[in-house]
Amino acid sequence: MRGREFLGRIRYLFRRGEAARDLREEMHLHIELRARKLRERGLGDDAEFAARRQFGNRGTYADKSSEIWGWAVWERIVQDFRMGARSLRKTPGFTVVAVLTLAVGLGMNTAVYSVVNAVMLRQLPYARPGQLVSLWEEHPKGHDNFNSHGDTLNKSGGAGALARTTVSVANIADYSGSQPIAQMASFDMANMNLTGAGVPERVAGEAVSANFFSVLGVTPVRGRDFRTEDDSPDAAPVVMISYDFWQGRLGGDTQVLDRSVMLDGRPRRIAGVLPRGFQSPSELAEGAASEFYVPAAYSKEQLQSRGDHDAGVVARLKPGVAIRRAQADLKVVQARLARQYPGTNKEMYPVIGPLRDDVVKGAGTALWALLGASGLLVLITCVNVANLLLVRATGRRRESSVRLAMGASRMRLVRLFLAESLLLAAAGCAAGMLLGTLLTRALIALAPAGIPRLESTTMDWTVFAFAASIAIVTGVIFGIAPAWQASQTKPVEALKTAARSSGNKTQLRWRASLTIVEVGLSLVLLVGAGLLLRSFAVVMKVDLGFQPDHILAMNINLPELRYPAAGLRLRFFETLESRVRALAGVQSVAYANRMPMRGSWRSGFQLDGNPDELKADFQAIGPGYFETFGIALVGGRVLTAHDREGQPPVAVVNQAFGRILLNGHDPMGHAFLYRDDARVEIVGVVSDIRRGGKTALVLPEVYLSAAQTKLYPVHIADFAVRTSGNPLQLANAIRQEVLGIDKDQPITNVHSMGEIVDTSVAQRRFQMLLLALFAAVAAALAVIGIYGVLSYSVAQRTGELGIRIALGANPRGIAGMVMRQAGKLILAGLAVGLVGALVLTRFLESLLFQLQSTDWPTYVCAASALALAAGAAALVPAIRSARVDPIVALRDE
Amino acid sequence: MHGFEIADSIQTATEDVLQVEEGSLYPALQRMLLKAWLRGEWGKTDENRRARYYTLTAEGRKQLQSEIERYGRVSQAIARILDPV
Repeated sequence: MRGREFLGRIRYLFRRGEAARDLREEMHLHIELRARKLRERGLGDDAEFAARRQFGNRGTYADKSSEIWGWAVWERIVQDFRMGARSLRKTPGFTVVAVLTLAVGLGMNTAVYSVVNAVMLRQLPYARPGQLVSLWEEHPKGHDNFNSHGDTLNKSGGAGALARTTVSVANIADYSGSQPIAQMASFDMANMNLTGAGVPERVAGEAVSANFFSVLGVTPVRGRDFRTEDDSPDAAPVVMISYDFWQGRLGGDTQVLDRSVMLDGRPRRIAGVLPRGFQSPSELAEGAASEFYVPAAYSKEQLQSRGDHDAGVVARLKPGVAIRRAQADLKVVQARLARQYPGTNKEMYPVIGPLRDDVVKGAGTALWALLGASGLLVLITCVNVANLLLVRATGRRRESSVRLAMGASRMRLVRLFLAESLLLAAAGCAAGMLLGTLLTRALIALAPAGIPRLESTTMDWTVFAFAASIAIVTGVIFGIAPAWQASQTKPVEALKTAARSSGNKTQLRWRASLTIVEVGLSLVLLVGAGLLLRSFAVVMKVDLGFQPDHILAMNINLPELRYPAAGLRLRFFETLESRVRALAGVQSVAYANRMPMRGSWRSGFQLDGNPDELKADFQAIGPGYFETFGIALVGGRVLTAHDREGQPPVAVVNQAFGRILLNGHDPMGHAFLYRDDARVEIVGVVSDIRRGGKTALVLPEVYLSAAQTKLYPVHIADFAVRTSGNPLQLANAIRQEVLGIDKDQPITNVHSMGEIVDTSVAQRRFQMLLLALFAAVAAALAVIGIYGVLSYSVAQRTGELGIRIALGANPRGIAGMVMRQAGKLILAGLAVGLVGALVLTRFLESLLFQLQSTDWPTYVCAASALALAAGAAALVPAIRSARVDPIVALRDE
Repeated sequence: MHGFEIADSIQTATEDVLQVEEGSLYPALQRMLLKAWLRGEWGKTDENRRARYYTLTAEGRKQLQSEIERYGRVSQAIARILDPV
């Protein structure tokens, strides 16, 4: 029975056109026969009408009959969409404008989302990435009694805030014993000079513990993984190379495992080749490729030291262990270490977090802000399209009325309108995806370096699903107002009044509120963009304290194997200095262990016999340093070539040194104890610089002479020249001089100082430009919205305005009336927008530099700019209203 | 009988007591076709017009029988309530 019924339905599905015709024929015959019968009874001409009335609404019964077969719902949906498509085709102008508007909103949103997806949401490319965590150590600020690669530069917050650092190697052994942790591996940067294969080159690599690859779940495609016995200073040196190293530098040699490479003057046997596309966590985070990995091979001293925090740590949790539990367990380990080694571990707290958060780092806030902004933009496009649809719905009130009068239910009408807007949304989505693909490519091309995983951005199915669901949601949002409007049509009234004058009060109120929302949303974006813009202007105005123009900077890393003694390294740089100074166009030459914009090295010392240890940034510099960077001498003398080993140890400090460490007293004549109790006299004071770049703090600085090598036996690797012409033109000449001294010595990171400063603000600039673009599009849409509403209301009131003018109203007064209407809309929108901006821009706070998110001048500027633009847009319909010709207007009525 | 004949015969038989819109017959006919209680076959009327003639199937007859029985029971019950002995 059931089965037969089902078969019946299926058969019906394939011949439903025929079935509908049959039914029509039956009904037709029925009415005809009834009419004849009635006529026989003497009803005459009324017979036909009476027969129809007796039968009832033919359409309704036909619908009910076909409903029986169970396909009506689907049929109607198909029918709704077909009708929607037909009516959209009939108004190509409207359709194109609506689809393009949607495409802009959805396209921008899709582009930003695809970047967010690649950078922040997608799983890391490792085995079971959910179990991977990174481990850091945190300590109260101001207690940084050690050196570290960590992010210890004060960014915000004062005392009491925690600073994060990489981990001490000795502590790793204790942490990895923690029960919830399956395995723990360490890694550190290890860039080395690659020689023996053409031009010597500095190559980026990492020094990792032997279990590094197994923790990440990666196995070499060739050769073997590192073994525990490789990870010792005495072991035969090996190296793991990246796939690109193998293919690019070794030509994909199949005998690769029999080869060695020369790194920092030491031959290393190739143990294995990593899979194609493998990227270590730090590669993902920094965006720079690591080409090789060597065993960390920590020395005995390093394995004992709890004061040096050098190692990055990645760990795999045991299956099913929550991060919170592992964190709690580490706390217990920390308590034990604090008792055992109070000197180094008392205030050193291990913290773990998902490895992914670590890879994303600072990019997160900016990207969320951009995604939020593009979301607002989508809302604005929705509002705009809804406005367009409302106008269209008004023009179609007659059509709606006829449909209602013919027996369509109000629900059916709502569905019909929704089908139309969903079609628009689908078309907008398709166009938006296309635009989004282009915009994504543009985003990646224009984005500054340093956004992790950006290059892996692709349009995958999650992006597509996101765009599609946004499109559906927007379709419903902007479709609902006109659909509701249409369903409220009162057919008799609507048919009585002419279609043209049929815009009613509700309709206008809808459009007015949509416009207010639109103005409000775009004000939020304008304020956001304005804040970033002002903040960027503040950044750009910051005086670095040194002159970055006309400086060429580069790195020259001398491998320890060939330059084991500090004296040898110094001699190299002194020779290079004298050779380069002889080049045409060179004004002065500097070498140092750390140049401005290239990190800092904090160290402790004791001032004037006071046993309390103080902190300052230390660097060892060559004699031309201050001249090259344009740092002014304020008092005393600069360091010269005569401040060598054997001469009394001297130092130059900056003004902040006196201001911060000496209560504002002149540092001249003071002396400090440093390293093995060497007494260093302060012989000069120079002006302050912002070492870390425009947004960094000015900190106490101590400059030592690089020639006093015992005092500060660091590796000098930064080299810079001040030039009279374009600094980049000297790069080759300097390279030749370096190769002239040592044919195996590469130079790297060759940039003009201007470029380096530029790069340091590139992310800020990019965020600002992107948000400014969003805000501009939003404001344009809002202005169009205002214009639309006013033009519409003027067009509607043409008759009324004609009468007013005919009765002697002043055209100026009429225009004023329209402008007042505009003013109300704009003011209401601005009020909404101000509240929204106050709430939403708080999320931008961390992107702002020396600027509150409540910075009122920005609000005033944004609001008045938007008000001006919107007011200008309102002028057009206002002028039009004043020019209404009463004769024409009244003739139209 | 075709559609009009059915409607007309109901009207005549009930002497116009049951006044419903005649169109409502057609959804009912469709439902019975779907359940295979009726068979519809196209034929010609006396005036050579195409019309669908409906006949009861065996299953339809069974269904009719059980509906009549059910109706009998219900109407007896109603009669007993209205006319208590």
